[in-house]
Parts: sequence; C-alpha cells; structure tokens
Amino acid sequence: MLDMLSLLDITFFLLAALGALVGIIFGAIPGMTATMAVAVCLPLTYALGLHHGLALLLGLYVGGISGGMVPAVLLNIPGTPSSITTTFDGYPMAQRGEGERALRVCVVASVVGGLISAAVLFLFAPLLAEFSIKFSYVEKFLIILLALTVIASMSRNMLVGIFSGVLGIWLSLIGTYSISDGGNGKTRLMFDFLEPYLFEGFSLLPVLIGIFGIATILLEAEAGVKSGLSDKEIKIGKGGGFSMGLFRGRLTNLVRSSFIGTFVGMLPGVGGSAASVLAYTQEKNLSRDSSEMGKGAPQGLIASESANNALTGGALIPLLSLGIPGDSTTAVLIGAFTLQGIQVGPLFIPENHDTWYVMMTALVFANIVMFFLMFYAIKHIAKVVLVPKYILYPLIVMMCVVGAYAINYGIMFDVWTLLIFGVLGYLIQKVGLEVAPLIIGFILGGQAEIYFVKSLESFGTFSIFFTKSPIAMVLWGLIAASVAFSVVMGLKSRAKRRLEAA
Amino acid sequence: MSMPNVPKTLGVSVLMAGMAFGSAAVMAADGPLRGNIRVVIGSTSTGGDTYQNSSIVVDALSEKLDLNMKVDAVGASSAFRFLDRDSRGNTLMIFHDQSYLGYLYGVEGYDNIFEKYTIGPTVAINPGNAYLVPKDSPYENMEEVIEAVGNGEEVRVAIQPGGVSEIGFSALKNAISIEYPGMEDNLVAVNTGSQADKNQQLFDDQADLINGTVQANEQYTRLPEDDQKAMRFVWLTARQSTIEQAPEEGLGQTSREQLLQYVEPNVSVTMGDENFTFDKEFFFLYNKDMDPAIVEQIDTALSEIYAEGEIQEVQKKSFFIPNFKPSDEAAEYLENKMTVYKEIIENIQ
Repeated sequence: MLDMLSLLDITFFLLAALGALVGIIFGAIPGMTATMAVAVCLPLTYALGLHHGLALLLGLYVGGISGGMVPAVLLNIPGTPSSITTTFDGYPMAQRGEGERALRVCVVASVVGGLISAAVLFLFAPLLAEFSIKFSYVEKFLIILLALTVIASMSRNMLVGIFSGVLGIWLSLIGTYSISDGGNGKTRLMFDFLEPYLFEGFSLLPVLIGIFGIATILLEAEAGVKSGLSDKEIKIGKGGGFSMGLFRGRLTNLVRSSFIGTFVGMLPGVGGSAASVLAYTQEKNLSRDSSEMGKGAPQGLIASESANNALTGGALIPLLSLGIPGDSTTAVLIGAFTLQGIQVGPLFIPENHDTWYVMMTALVFANIVMFFLMFYAIKHIAKVVLVPKYILYPLIVMMCVVGAYAINYGIMFDVWTLLIFGVLGYLIQKVGLEVAPLIIGFILGGQAEIYFVKSLESFGTFSIFFTKSPIAMVLWGLIAASVAFSVVMGLKSRAKRRLEAA
Repeated sequence: MSMPNVPKTLGVSVLMAGMAFGSAAVMAADGPLRGNIRVVIGSTSTGGDTYQNSSIVVDALSEKLDLNMKVDAVGASSAFRFLDRDSRGNTLMIFHDQSYLGYLYGVEGYDNIFEKYTIGPTVAINPGNAYLVPKDSPYENMEEVIEAVGNGEEVRVAIQPGGVSEIGFSALKNAISIEYPGMEDNLVAVNTGSQADKNQQLFDDQADLINGTVQANEQYTRLPEDDQKAMRFVWLTARQSTIEQAPEEGLGQTSREQLLQYVEPNVSVTMGDENFTFDKEFFFLYNKDMDPAIVEQIDTALSEIYAEGEIQEVQKKSFFIPNFKPSDEAAEYLENKMTVYKEIIENIQ
C-alpha cells in the first residue's frame, strides 16, 4: 500500500486534472471524441511512464465522455455518439432558456454515474467479468434488440417512428459486412461507382453531426435568423434555476441508469451509444410520469448522462479482468499497457496491484475534477447561446466540417456525408419522418446484423434466440414488456387526443 | 510530493500541446526524406502488435533522422489508400504478412503488394501466433487433433478469416489432406472477428481450437483447470530458431523452454516434404513512385540503428524478435515466403 502511495505524486494528480480538462474540450468539439483524445496522447505514455501516463489517459477518457453534453444541450449536436439521448431533452430546455440548468443536471448525473461505475469496478471487477462472458452473440443481439425497442416508445406516431427506425437500420447496412467480422467483404446497397467512398459505409460521427447539427441549422435558417435569446430570456447565473431538489424522486433513475451504463460498458462490442439509449428507454418505461420526456425533462438528461459516464468504469471491467476492451476508447487505452510491455488479461489485477490501485485513484480523481471544472464553468459555457446566430452558426458549420474531416484521419467523403445527412435530416423532418428513431436504428443496425448472423452461424437454428440461456429469456421478457408498454402508451395518448378533439 | 515535479509537468503539457496540435515541420538538413512523416499501419488497434512494433521502430528512426514521425493506426484498406495517394515519401506504411495473405485469400481491398508497392526493410517478427484448446480439452496436443480429424471427428477452429489467423488453419487442413486424404473437411473453420470473439467461442463451447497469441492468451493458460476461461497452448506456428531467440524468461510466467514445446519439430504439421512454420514478420511498404533515394536513406538509417544494438533490446523486451533485412533482401525473401503459402492455400481449395 505504501508503495502505491509513493506513486501518487503531485504530477500524477496534475496530469489527471489536465487530462480531464483537455478531454472536456475534445468532447465538446463536435467531431472530436474521447477516443481521439486518448489516441493522440497515447505516445506520451512512453515519456511519462505507465502510471503517470494512465493518469493522463483516464482523465482524457472521463473528460471526453463528459464534454459531449455541452454541444448536445446547447446546440443539439451530440459531441460524442453516447450523448445522443442528451439532445432529446437538453436542447428543448436550452431553447426555453434553461441551458445552464440542463447542463448542471447533466454534470451532477455524470459524476454520480462515473463514481458508481468506479465503485462497481473496484469491488466486483473479476466477478462481473465472469458474468460478462455468459453473454454470447445471442444475448448481445437481444440487448441490442432491447435498445431498439426504444424506437417504438419514443416516436410521436408509432408507425412512422418504426418506419424511420427501419430506414436507419437500412442506412447502417450500406457498405460491407466486413471480413474481419467474419463476413464476405462484398459491397452492397450501393451503385458500383460509389464503392471507393462507401466501402466501409457512412461514418457514424459525420452522420450524427449532420443529421442533428446541420439539419438544425438549416431549419433555423429557414425560419430566419433572429438575434437569438436575449439576456433576459435566458436564466444564467445563480445556478440558472438549478437546485439539487431537481433530483428529488429521481434517485432511482440516477442509480438505475448508472448501473445500466456500467453493465453495457462491460459487454465488449455492445458500444457506448447503446448504454444511454437503454437507460433512456428504461426511464421512459418505468418512471411514473414520462410524458414530458423528449420535450425538455431533466429526468431524460439524468438517465442519459449518468449512463454514458458510467460506461467508463464498466468498459474497464473486461479490459482489466479479461484483457478485452469494453468500448472503442478502452481499445485505445490498452495500447498504454502494450507499449510498456504489460500484459492485460485475467491475471492482471492480482499480478499488478499497484497499477490497479493507481488506476482507480486516477479514475475517481478525474471524475471529481471533471465535476468541479464543469459545474463552475457552465455559467460561462452556457452563454454560447447568447452569441448571435449569424456568427455562431457559421462557426459551428466550420467546426463540424473540420471535425468530420478529421474523424477518420482525413477522408473528404466524411465531409460529404456530413452535408448529405444534414440535408437529409432537414428533409425527413419536412416530410414528417422522425429523426431520433432513424438515428438509433442507424447506430445499432450494424451490430444487430453481426450478432444476429453470428448467432445463427454458431448455433444453426432460430430457436436458439429463445432457448439459449436464462439470460436470453429474461431479455425477451424485458423486450416484451418494453413493446407492450409502448403500445399501451400509444393507445392512451391516442384516446386522450380523441377526447380532447371531442 | 515535491515541487520540482511541477516544471516537469509543465514541460509535459507543452509537449502534449505540440503533439495534439501538430508541431512545426522539422526539416532534416540532409537526405531526401523531409517534413512530417506519417507512418500508417494496417491495423486499427493501438493495443495490438503492429502498433507496438511500429512505434518502437518509428521512434528510433525519427530520432536517427531528426524528423517528426508519427504512427497512425488507420487499418489496412485506409492505409493502402493513403499510401497510394502519396509518392513524396511523407506517408509510409508498416504492416505484416497479412498484406499478401489477404491477397492470396482473395480479400477485397488487397492487391499484390509485390506489383503495386515497393517492399521496404523487414524489422521484426512476432513469434506469438498460437493455437489453443480449453484446458480440459480431450486433445492433449496437435497430433491428437490431426488424428481425431483423420478418424472422422469434427473439430471446429475459431479464426478470423482471410489472413494471418487463417494460414495456420489452412496448413492444418493441408496436413490432414496429406495424412488422411479426404478427411480434411472434418476440420471446420468458425469465422469470427477479434481475439475477444475467438475466446468467447471457446468459453461457449462453440469451438474446439482457437487461434490466439502468446501475448493475449498467456494469462488464460495460467488459470486453474476448473475455470471456464482456462486454456492450453497446443501449437505455436513460429520456427524453432525464432523462439530460441526470445528472452529466456519468455512472456509472463511462461518460459522460453515451455514455449519451445509447442513449436516444430515437437509439433509437426506437415506440408509433404517439410513441416509448416509461420513467422509473422513486420516490414515497410512504400509507394511505387517514391524516390529510390528515400528507400536507400531508410535502409541506411535502420542498418545503423540495428548496428548500435539498442533497438534489439527494446524489441525483445516486448517479445518481438529483431529481424532487420534491407529492402532488396526483404523483397526477395517475402516473395519466396508468399510462394510457399500460395501453394498451401491452392492445395486445399
């Protein structure tokens, strides 16, 4: 233990704090992600040594995931894919002049999510890793299917919503079923001349930024550029109407969402976006009153942000107890160990006690730093909405273009993707389709296909989806409940509309 | 907890800002290679052997040439595309045998590298390509696996198709077709993706044998037999002479002596007149139109680096076997290597 304490010098804490700060900036810039931040700084671990390097990288990870909330709330652009559900309630709140309040809710939810997942990681990592390997292709497919059921409950008109979701899945299948995933590597759903551009399909982030950010700007441009919210309309300073009282009666949501985030994080290959989508669905299904969700309800922000920050601890579980990264950022993080010649596998924790404690310290410290940095900076950050839109929007478009170009290290087609989906996002709203189900279909479609095909390849029968394991049966129960709930809610709201019309 | 650490931290932050936002172009005063050099690799993983090995080599090279060089894990198809576009020499590529095995297996996006690119020097071998069974598997060794398949038993092998992960499987199939003609179809490939997927197939009892690596799977081999995750090595495809160059302590807690049990001739997978072996070798690839003077410059720089002898220590510490061959020698050697594997792949088709 004393050995460990000697590793925690002031440099260690400064690096973790610096990491959190730089991470927040990366996360807040549309097109830049936590994964990128960690990748850019990875070679520094050579110079810094393993423990100092890890402090920096974990800081970047926590900061990067958290920073995504800022553009999600203020600009309707998910800074990272996992903050997509934050836009659903955050942006409507910002439009009402409650941006600061929304961000404070997000920050508190984030730090709680982050700390709960760190505690779970610390106490139960090996045990949970054992549990996570019970999830084969079949169970992973069912988890994704469960997340997809959110489409039904989130749509204003269920049929249109489901259609939009299917459209999103279809878009996600453009490209190839990659050979590295066991597919045939042949291009599909495109014309031959598009092959050089669409070989790997549309990139996720340019699609997200386009369909949310650019489409929002187009819609606003159509409405005519007004001067924006004035100082009086917007509640800034003195907490912006935020008090901890907002969390009263929401503790269950906060804790449940944090556990969902941790749980999804620890399943390798299920991905970060599924965590916040699942937490959002569950809040929608289980809360007493979810009628305001999607229109600017703090409970939606709590679910989304606590879940996506809880990913951090969750994704470290399989990394440190199986040597398998839980998400794309930890996949880069593993490089810090390999560069130092340290194996990560099932015996990592018992054989590297010091490193393990050092990592836990960095993770908890980074979460706390993130909280203070953001909680007190929000007042200033939230003023972004005061910038006149004719200045703000061109800047955002420029940042989006740069981000889209950079995301895959300089692919011009990603910029076109951004613009195509910007226009598409604008058009689908014009014809009455729904954006949120479409994008959720797009994010989850590719994985759903791979796990579905692999389940069939491995087990050779459709009935395996129902009979594989007790876990599969429980998941089916949840899927059925989620669908039934959506149908009942749909019928209720239709009856209500009829009553009002009469 | 002392103050002198603060300047160090500040120094690091400045360094980080430099890394993050691109430092000013460093010009090597002499030599044709100049500006910022991007070394793309054929893997998207920064946790894998390609990134690790490339980082070691590029670091040394960057220091030697006094140039700003950076490794970018962009993946095979992107890396080839980036290399195609840049004949100035500011984009170089490092990859391994996958670059021609992908072509032999007919994977989309792979061309014949010997025609399309200039082959640069080889730098190292990763001797860790391995095959594993569950610890409680009925098969004690590869001989028993081959015999079982020959006797009509179905054996499922989890691999990632189209390259390094598949070549051992192809060789095994070829060996069975030689020793037990007509029985080779009992060896079934289970197509998976990442190492995590392959491991999972073993945990789920959906595969009897998996492809893995010494680096990624060694800890699993030290778990107790009653652990669902416990595995056992049965075959390392590397040449005996390659493993003999590894550090005596081996990797993790598996010594070189133990590892040698799993290589040829202790394990024999026949190709007819000799046994199959496969060393995963890393080498440079250049744009065909790049100035030959750059090829020369990198060859010379690497020759000097390897003559100094420090890089070998770093490579061995990370369980790589140093294997520097200048460009001309490397091109001839690798093309011969491809011919051997081409035969195996054609035999079993």
